Amino acid sequence: MARVSVKTFSVIRDAIGAGVIEIDVENPETVGGLFDAMVQKYGKPFKEKIWDPDTGEISPFLIRLNDEIIRSTVDLDKKISDGDKISLIIPVGGG
Amino acid sequence: MAFKYGGYMGQMLRINLTDKGISKEPLREDWARDFVGGAGLAARIIYEEVKPKIDPLGPENKIVIMTAPLNGTMIPAASRTALCAKSPYTGSFFHSIFGGFLGPEIKFAGYDGVIIEGSADTPVYIWIDDGSVQIRDASHLWGKEPFEAQDILREEIGDEEIHIATIGQAGEEKAPYAMILCDIRAAGRGGMGAVMGSKNLKAIAVRGTGGVTVPNILKVYNTAQRLNQLISTNPAVKGLSEYGTPRMVNALNEGGILPTRNWQTEVFVGMKEITGEVMKEKVVKGHRACFGCSINCTKYSVVSSGPYKSVINGADFETIYGFGSICEIDNIEAMCKADELCDYYGIDIISTSLTISWAMECYEAGIFTKKDTEGIELKFGNTDAMLLMIEKIGKQEGLGALLAKGTREASRIVGKDSIRFAVQNKGMEFPGHSCRPFPAAAVGYATGPRGASHHDIRPTPEKIGLVDRLTLEGKGALAAEINHWLILCDSMALCHLAEPIWGPMKISDSVVEALNVVTGQELGYEEVRKIAERQWNMIRCFSAREGFTRDDDQLPHRFTEEPIPEGPMKGSVISKETLERLKDDYYAYRGWDIKTGNPTEEKLIELGLDFAVKDVC
Ligand code: SF4
Repeated sequence: MARVSVKTFSVIRDAIGAGVIEIDVENPETVGGLFDAMVQKYGKPFKEKIWDPDTGEISPFLIRLNDEIIRSTVDLDKKISDGDKISLIIPVGGG
Repeated sequence: MAFKYGGYMGQMLRINLTDKGISKEPLREDWARDFVGGAGLAARIIYEEVKPKIDPLGPENKIVIMTAPLNGTMIPAASRTALCAKSPYTGSFFHSIFGGFLGPEIKFAGYDGVIIEGSADTPVYIWIDDGSVQIRDASHLWGKEPFEAQDILREEIGDEEIHIATIGQAGEEKAPYAMILCDIRAAGRGGMGAVMGSKNLKAIAVRGTGGVTVPNILKVYNTAQRLNQLISTNPAVKGLSEYGTPRMVNALNEGGILPTRNWQTEVFVGMKEITGEVMKEKVVKGHRACFGCSINCTKYSVVSSGPYKSVINGADFETIYGFGSICEIDNIEAMCKADELCDYYGIDIISTSLTISWAMECYEAGIFTKKDTEGIELKFGNTDAMLLMIEKIGKQEGLGALLAKGTREASRIVGKDSIRFAVQNKGMEFPGHSCRPFPAAAVGYATGPRGASHHDIRPTPEKIGLVDRLTLEGKGALAAEINHWLILCDSMALCHLAEPIWGPMKISDSVVEALNVVTGQELGYEEVRKIAERQWNMIRCFSAREGFTRDDDQLPHRFTEEPIPEGPMKGSVISKETLERLKDDYYAYRGWDIKTGNPTEEKLIELGLDFAVKDVC
């Protein structure tokens, strides 16, 4: 099991009610597994910000995994470990 | 007889300020078909009517305010209107796109666009009241700040509901980056305010009581409903309603792409104090929307007391970037004050803030001394110094007179290392959207007809991971297709802030649908894409006729020679060799001449722009 800290912003932060959370991830200990754990914990308000309800596809956004920038669209299988710091950099269009 | 296509009024208004001539003329059907409206159609008109190499601040320049078929309909976020002219700031065609209500009101008054030519001997304003059009004396408005001038006009005309575009003191004095205030938004960039000022034109006031006809109102209603649904459920757009455009400040900083300290870095330690969340908590008192927009991105903010007492429509992200991280100021109230001062004098927020940060860097490098700044400690992070410099720029006083010229011109005059500190392309200072980690954005900025405009290119597909940001492969094509959805939206009145709905990689099917339901055409995707390509080439032809070539498609030294020094994007840079390779790729994809970077005869003929062959090939 990996205990990781997750930082969120804007509408994602509003959906889960906190800017930084600690969460346990297991089976699998991956970025995708983290999202599953977050859906379990925060339910629909979080899920609808991350997955397109019509297509069921994950929204495209960047994720900061410690000091590395990865992508939601291709890096869901990326391993995470105990103590990792993860930021969901979503969404950053517009402006 | 009704116009062939729906959404159009079928009529242009021409006003000559030299001889006071006012005429109404039919809108050309072929131009509406081939260029749609807004920026695209204005580019065609200006190419035709404005002679090459004229002085942008002379009477030969023309202002074309061009609406679009969607303006004034129920299609959401279709509030935008194009204010176009040859720019005194970049020297080429410029489309300054503004929201608010003026564009729809021009249509309700019965016109698709207004062409303003010549120059008045004394200050005037234009009053368009449906079919009645007058050029009126504005000597009592000259010297007044834009909002005061608008209040006077509303009282004088006796109608609270009129919509007005106004210049401030900077526009009157033809300051190169003077802007035009249009209701709650502005035609901010490219010195369009200076062009108005050069014509002695203080304001344009409009009242229209008509409506816009579409071929099938039910179809338009259904499309509008569907688009509103998309807007209300898209998380990227939703954040705009809640926090305005500053919703992304903290996410950008976390990603290591929040431009800071005149772009010396892209991580700002003071970020926590200038986020959309802090703004909402401390100063936002309400939301405002442009005509028919369900997004409400514009915030109404009040600082009720203290040194930064102010009332603004904003702040937008560009204010937070420019007067926040770029100048290393971490005080949201000071940002509101800075925004208010820019409106007061009528100067563009991005160019003003970047010019001040350039001066801060010059000061810290010893290029400017206290003698130059008249005792002001012009260092990064000095809030009061920043606000004082805005006032000096607005009044063109002391060092402000130099800074009012913008970073390109000011650095040419000052010389030394200051040239390396100027973060501009074609004279336009960069907006707050990073490109060192994003090759498509980088080549888009470099080749952009307006110089550094985030409305000619968007880094979004690379920024949110829709494509691999690191590869150079296919980035010329990506940049070109982003150009296309942007210019098409600028020609259809669609606001770029609904980017996930209209783009973000290429023109979306929703854009095609919106154009077809309003105009009653049945255009296929490729036909619509071709229109956008024609518009982009038209604008490039204007630049080419003025003498622009691939050599003008550049990035600042800072982006080609100085990698981002810290954070998760550390090391990102677009070297000169990489940029030249990206330009080759971009021109090749466009079918342009790789050597000159300009359209070829074959491409122009293919797009029906044969008339430009003699000028640019
Ligand atoms: S998103 Fe904002 S700027 Fe764009 S039309 Fe709507 S309110 Fe105006």
